[in-house]
Amino acid sequence: MLENYFPVLLFIGIALVMGVVPLVLGMLVGPHRPDEKKLSPYECGFEAFEDARMKFDVRFYLVAILFILFDLEIAFLFPWAIVLKEIGTFGFVSMMIFLAILVVGFVYEWMKGALEWE
Amino acid sequence: MNFETVLFYLFAAVTVFAALRVITARNPLHAVLFLVLAFVSSAGIWMLLEAEFLAIALVLVYVGAVMVLFLFVVMMLDINIEQLRKGFWQWLPLGGLLAALIGVQMVWVLGADEISAGTTAVKHAADYSNTKELGRLIYTDYVYPFEIAAVLLLVAMVAAIALTLRKRRDTKRQDVNKQVKVRREDRVRIVSVPSARQVESVQEAAASNHGHTAD
Amino acid sequence: MNYLASLSPIYAEMFLLVMVCAILIVDLFIVNYTKTVTYLLTQTSLFCTVLILLFTHQPGAAHLFNDMFVHDVMSYVLKVFICLAVMAMLLYSRSYLLVRGLFTGEFLALVMFATLGMMVMTSASNFLTLYLGLELLALSLYAMVALQRDSAIATESAMKYFILGAMASGFLLYGMSMLYGATGSLDINRIADVIQHGTPNKSLLVFGLVFIVAGLAFKLGAVPFHMWVPDVYHGAPTAVTMFIGTAPKLAAFAFVMRILVEALQPLMIHWSGMLMILAVLSMAVGNITAIAQTNLKRMFAYSTIAHMGFLLLGVLSGTIEGYGSAMFYAMVYVLMSLGGFGMIMLLSREGFEADTLNDFKGLNQRSPWLAFMMLLLMFSMAGVPPTVGFYAKFSVLNAALDAGHLTLVVMAVLFSLIGAFYYLRIVKLMYFDAPESHEKIYIQPDSSLLVSLNGMAILLLGIFPNTLMSVCFVSVQQSLLQ
Repeated sequence: MLENYFPVLLFIGIALVMGVVPLVLGMLVGPHRPDEKKLSPYECGFEAFEDARMKFDVRFYLVAILFILFDLEIAFLFPWAIVLKEIGTFGFVSMMIFLAILVVGFVYEWMKGALEWE
Repeated sequence: MNFETVLFYLFAAVTVFAALRVITARNPLHAVLFLVLAFVSSAGIWMLLEAEFLAIALVLVYVGAVMVLFLFVVMMLDINIEQLRKGFWQWLPLGGLLAALIGVQMVWVLGADEISAGTTAVKHAADYSNTKELGRLIYTDYVYPFEIAAVLLLVAMVAAIALTLRKRRDTKRQDVNKQVKVRREDRVRIVSVPSARQVESVQEAAASNHGHTAD
Repeated sequence: MNYLASLSPIYAEMFLLVMVCAILIVDLFIVNYTKTVTYLLTQTSLFCTVLILLFTHQPGAAHLFNDMFVHDVMSYVLKVFICLAVMAMLLYSRSYLLVRGLFTGEFLALVMFATLGMMVMTSASNFLTLYLGLELLALSLYAMVALQRDSAIATESAMKYFILGAMASGFLLYGMSMLYGATGSLDINRIADVIQHGTPNKSLLVFGLVFIVAGLAFKLGAVPFHMWVPDVYHGAPTAVTMFIGTAPKLAAFAFVMRILVEALQPLMIHWSGMLMILAVLSMAVGNITAIAQTNLKRMFAYSTIAHMGFLLLGVLSGTIEGYGSAMFYAMVYVLMSLGGFGMIMLLSREGFEADTLNDFKGLNQRSPWLAFMMLLLMFSMAGVPPTVGFYAKFSVLNAALDAGHLTLVVMAVLFSLIGAFYYLRIVKLMYFDAPESHEKIYIQPDSSLLVSLNGMAILLLGIFPNTLMSVCFVSVQQSLLQ
């Protein structure tokens, strides 16, 4: 079975070479003459004002988490879809229950306003 | 040593290296990127075990979604990683000793001949589909754990909402329902304003004005 | 239809799941902050779950879903007690949570999810379902600890709980994977069979066992894996602390029984040695450190650690008597813990936590009845006859003695004597010290009825322990023999 994936491996290998070789070449061949000014952070010619990091609104996180949960749900649908004919009504119903439980969650978060961006 | 074994050791070495860098990297962003690398190379190991669906799910879900979320947060958050890692070097000898101890034990137990001998994975034909095999089992034999998994996802949803959702009072938000439901009567009030008024005599008006201000 | 009828042993879990979903949705339409409808719905569902359990129970064990689910006498008894404990916990904590604005639909839903997780754990007969039940419980608990978002200490304790809990899960999973590697199965009965009759690799089995015991010790809070217990008990809202300290202990007992006794009974010489170390250390560290605590919640946390040591003492005896007395101990512990945390919540008011020792000074002058109830609880925790705590300790020690662990028994007695000091100190504070405040204690009629019932149960069960004791013995015996 693994031989099917040989092209993928080859692709990864070539991609790695394409990505790494120019970088390494540049590092080896290019001139290195660093000084203090060159290495200092650059912000439109000023001294840097403050750290680039800041307080982060937790709402971004909520949206992302909700996305991941449904992403996982979708992951369960793939194996189900390709064997649906073999597993019959039982398999169909079990997936429907799975989806129903998650639909409850969906309704809940929708009504709760978690999907809205105020 | 055949080609697959070489690949296995390659992926394993990359995974271990990346995992080590996750905890030693100075820049949190680099740590997250190394974690991505660790996931990708473990996906490679899974692929070698012919668990193609799991390998792809790992890349899709962890690398594609979870790690992007991590990256997002780490990039923006104002954490001072140096401060967090204050005790790192101080406790390294003790932790390292314990890790080495466990490592030696693992090599001793798992490296024993009778375990490493009989454990070559079964090789399948080119048309074998691991995804199909999974599908045949998950939704029939393993239906009970499968439904519990759905409940776990539901709990995660409820917990995430309970912990992070906060109604803000200072934002002005649009309520589409209200906007759609609005009727003419709610918004428009017809006031009959007489277009012309009889002019009173100047003195009278002045007197009434005066009276008002006196009040 | 036939298939549905064959699912009757799992009706209770199915009903509970449907009701949680219903409560989640119904709660969205309730704007009233007292959430009376949601609350009543939750209590009714739990009560109906108990009724369903009572009516669908049939003698013998039922296996469903390819042996992933087992409904035997032990899981039946434990499930009924878990539901009752959760109901009592909700009754106790309602007004406490209401004044703190934590009594939300999410809280109730998470409680129900956790209950479902515990039920899954108690009747799991496969490592997969065992683990999923545990995670269902743990995930709900993490969220409940963190529910008080504006409190820094609650958030911190939730963080610690989450990280250490995740690590413990990792240990457990790693151990389970080793056992899977050695035996080729995740099914508990199959694993026991392979270990007994097959030729699995011994060192691999023991290696996996070490990780499993470490993970279990983490979850139980046994020394040296106890670091999270005091912080979480202290930091969480008292109602959540009460929840963590009660029903999950029953589920944890079932968890230990399923893994160590049902699956790994042949490895008993290995795990009983590990449990010995855990038990002695827990009793020592728990009882001695508790003396130094001035915060009652922290003190109860260390007392929990000590009680878990006792529970392990019963399990490591390796006999039916040992398991039965450990189950009895777990139930009694839940009863005492409900009363103890309930008392803290009864004395608390809006913006004030009655969780230091000083708050109990002179309680007798302020409310003689409450002080008497607290006296009973403390006597029971210390193991003073005729309260039920005495019989719990006595039966565990008896079982350990029968199994030939004389040194362990002597140590256990010694440490519980040390432990008696800090329980009796509270009695002294209540009866012989002057109160620090003379504020009137106002308690809801339902909680006062419950605390009276709780105290009386401790006294009555202490005088007539035989019924509950025999229930425990019968359930353990029948579950292990099949």
